[in-house]
Amino acid sequence: MTDPRIERLGDLVVNYSLELSEGQVVRIDGLEIAAPLALATYRAALAVGAHPYTNLSIDGLLELLLESGSEEQLAYISPVHVSEMETIDALVTIWSEANTRSLTRVDPGKHSRYIAAHRPLSNRRWERIASGEMRWCGTLHPTFAHAQDADMSLEEYESFVFAACHTDVENPAAHWSEVAQGLGARAEELGSVRELRIVGPDTDLRLGVEGRTWLAADGKFNMPDGEVFTSPRERETEGEIRYTFPAIFQGREVEDIRLRFEEGRVVLAEAVRGQDYLRSLLDMDDGARVLGEVAFGLNYEIDRFTRNILFDEKIGGTMHLALGAAFAQAGGENSSGLHWDMICDLREEGEVYADGELVWKAGEFLSEPVVHA
Amino acid sequence: MNTVPRIERLASVLVDYSTEVQPGQLVLIESSPLAAPLVLAVARRVIEAGAHPQTRLAVDGLTETLLAHGTDAQLQWVNPARVEDYERADVRMVFEAEFNTRTLSSIDPERLALAGRAREQLRDRYLERAAAGELRWVITLFPTYSAAQDAEMSLAQYEEFVYGAGRLDEDDPVGEWRRFGDGLTRLAEWLDAKSEVRVVSDGTDLTVGVEGRTWIPCGGKENFPDGEVFTGPVETSLEGEIHFSFPASFQGRMVEDIRLRFEGGEVVEAHAARGQDFLDAMLAMDDGARRAGEFAFGMNEAIQEFTRSTLFDEKIGGTVHLALGKAYPESGGQNRSALHWDLVCDLRSGSEVFVDGELVYRDGRFLPGIY
Repeated sequence: MTDPRIERLGDLVVNYSLELSEGQVVRIDGLEIAAPLALATYRAALAVGAHPYTNLSIDGLLELLLESGSEEQLAYISPVHVSEMETIDALVTIWSEANTRSLTRVDPGKHSRYIAAHRPLSNRRWERIASGEMRWCGTLHPTFAHAQDADMSLEEYESFVFAACHTDVENPAAHWSEVAQGLGARAEELGSVRELRIVGPDTDLRLGVEGRTWLAADGKFNMPDGEVFTSPRERETEGEIRYTFPAIFQGREVEDIRLRFEEGRVVLAEAVRGQDYLRSLLDMDDGARVLGEVAFGLNYEIDRFTRNILFDEKIGGTMHLALGAAFAQAGGENSSGLHWDMICDLREEGEVYADGELVWKAGEFLSEPVVHA
Repeated sequence: MNTVPRIERLASVLVDYSTEVQPGQLVLIESSPLAAPLVLAVARRVIEAGAHPQTRLAVDGLTETLLAHGTDAQLQWVNPARVEDYERADVRMVFEAEFNTRTLSSIDPERLALAGRAREQLRDRYLERAAAGELRWVITLFPTYSAAQDAEMSLAQYEEFVYGAGRLDEDDPVGEWRRFGDGLTRLAEWLDAKSEVRVVSDGTDLTVGVEGRTWIPCGGKENFPDGEVFTGPVETSLEGEIHFSFPASFQGRMVEDIRLRFEGGEVVEAHAARGQDFLDAMLAMDDGARRAGEFAFGMNEAIQEFTRSTLFDEKIGGTVHLALGKAYPESGGQNRSALHWDLVCDLRSGSEVFVDGELVYRDGRFLPGIY
């Protein structure tokens, strides 16, 4: 018998996140190491009368292309993949890796060129998602590699993942519907704020958010989920911030980042480890020094850093600020090839002021949002 | 001694010899994660050839779930991405690598047939493109525990069997296959001029009309390993009886000791010692399922053992096989069906084959001077 927590996760993604219906075509992407969740998702999709199919890969194929492919091969987009992206109604991405460092030693230039060349495909995907033609959800099946990154045994990590998704109990969809209501109310409340001030150890940062839309991340696009986020005004970030958690981008870690902002741009950037990498990313393009996102992490089942952004950015009691690309649906205008989420732990001493009023202390909002029925 | 790992030798035979991958081509690789070492070795060779590998890997349980729980509409759904695969691919490679060859054993044969009929158009399209020279394809097998178990061997023994049948331990496997293929080509050319084959053995006396049909030599291009010459018999010509002493496996089912009687090309009687229901369901799949789409001589002397894998069994040197159902268009056969089920008849002892009335084959071998 399959782990019921995996069955529930497949069911949750199909019925709550994607709201799949009869006749829809859903593709399930992942590595074969995620087979149990791919199968559970497949079964749940079949049960609602949809047409699921899997698109599974094995560790090593991408590495092979990045290592041995010519520039022409790196840039090649299969016409089959183009056509799939036009026709599928839903996509599930299972991010599970067999080895999270498979690509660490790959030539970063070739990797960037591969990503850049495939942007038309990912742009088309986001376009169809934004217009509502296609649904998408990203999730994870626990593997040894992710457990290792989280400094846990596989069994502990499984408990962590399924608790974060609430699939360790019956009817997780009911939980997520409730969460969605709370996050929606919080986002609405934050919508009237003009300025946020974040205060913590070595941190005192002001962000302009007037006129921007706060969005609730409530388990539709990610599972687990649990944050409210917006894109701050591009020229108004002022002050300093220190990120106590390592910031990870494409498998590389930069530790103990300190940034100083003036008129919205990073003017000083220091790190204890990975300083060169930090600076090279900041110089990627014009938008890379500007914040594209500010968010509150509100999933309190996620209580520790596990080196996986799907979970880390939602740690209850943290905030994250991403350098680079902003969200158009939030009213953000910053554009960049970068979108790098950095997480600031505010659970010990953090305070957040909204238009001068203390609204958050030691990792929690001081009042419940008013839920408009 | 050839010191290149056998898996890499196999990869280069498949890419360089079987399908002759060209720069810029889209190469579809269908398999399961169990064949990861071969998938990676072939992908590397494809990249070295300047082409583009694209994988479709399936894990155990997907097909079973669909067949066991899907609605009729879901069973009959044809994935547009697969249609596109077969429209766009320049090369299609299939590496059989099952987790469990019996995973579909308890599925209702009617439902298997329903799903099979719905996907007939997919297979027809790629065979059509192959016949038109637009697509190359090859099927091989990666040795797994499940296949070794079916062959009643250890995995190590089975690997020896598989790579031996592929001549991959030779210094120059491609050279071996070319020479072997040349011999099969001469045999096929000789058979092309003939009208009738009669097979006589214990429980078998079957006449097969082949006039005007093309015999195809199989020297490792579309199957690997390979070794047969086949044609599509004249659809209304088969007369008599045939007894298949080997169990016939299809979609994970074993049907044992099949005896068929043909009249006017059609199966009029079908008996099996085990699996009669499945045999009946397959024969009832559609109109073409009761007629033969292929008749062939198995010619690979390195395959002597029955291993419950059609890829190998149909090439056992000293056998003939007859497929019920779909004919390959390049052979001139016209029979259409969602079925293509190869049934293997052992002729290695007490058998004779007559071609246009002349004895040409005895106890599993063509007589000297013929081949």
